[in-house]
Amino acid sequence: MHSAEIIAELQPIFADILDLPDLQLFAATTAADVEGWDSLAHINLVVAIEKRYKVKFALGELQELKNVGDMANLIIKKLAA
Amino acid sequence: MNDYNWPELAVGLGATFEVLVTAQMLDDFAALSGDCNPLHMDDAFARSAGFPGRLVFGMLTSSFYSRLVGMYLPGKHGLLHGVEVEFKKPAHIGDRLTVSGEVVYLNDAYRQIEVKARILNQRGETVSKATIRAGLREH
Repeated sequence: MHSAEIIAELQPIFADILDLPDLQLFAATTAADVEGWDSLAHINLVVAIEKRYKVKFALGELQELKNVGDMANLIIKKLAA
Repeated sequence: MNDYNWPELAVGLGATFEVLVTAQMLDDFAALSGDCNPLHMDDAFARSAGFPGRLVFGMLTSSFYSRLVGMYLPGKHGLLHGVEVEFKKPAHIGDRLTVSGEVVYLNDAYRQIEVKARILNQRGETVSKATIRAGLREH
């Protein structure tokens, strides 16, 4: 899968958890760009992504992410493992 | 009070406790919340509305989900992150409620557990069910 496909799949997950139905996600999107993407919402996003793709993230992996594109690439890496 | 550490928590771990609902609890909850709706406070009014007596506040029974997290799952180092509750059947004064929960998901990175919880009355009927998310603080 490509990063853009993953980001398209992440869009409804983010929109639901952040309660932003019109949210547009891009590879460069960061928490600072999105209203309501605080630390608790971040945990909820990570859990939802883990369940969606049946993967588990380590704290160190998550701490290295700078934007949504990095998250998409990490998901691709996990799915390929 | 339980005092689970992260490695001790596992999917399937559960906890159960019982609560006898008293009129004093409703009076105390009304004073605390400021919700003095007669369905909860006036027995005659509740009966005239077709109920067998004062209805227990849904948020009062839901407060037992707070006890489930703070005292049992995970206990001392727990911090409630969120609760989604569905009310199924009203509770009444004198009901003996059984509150139970089971860990269904662990997020290792942020040390958050997800608990499926339920409150049953003495007849085995579901009063409410809930999905609870709670963190385990570092200690």
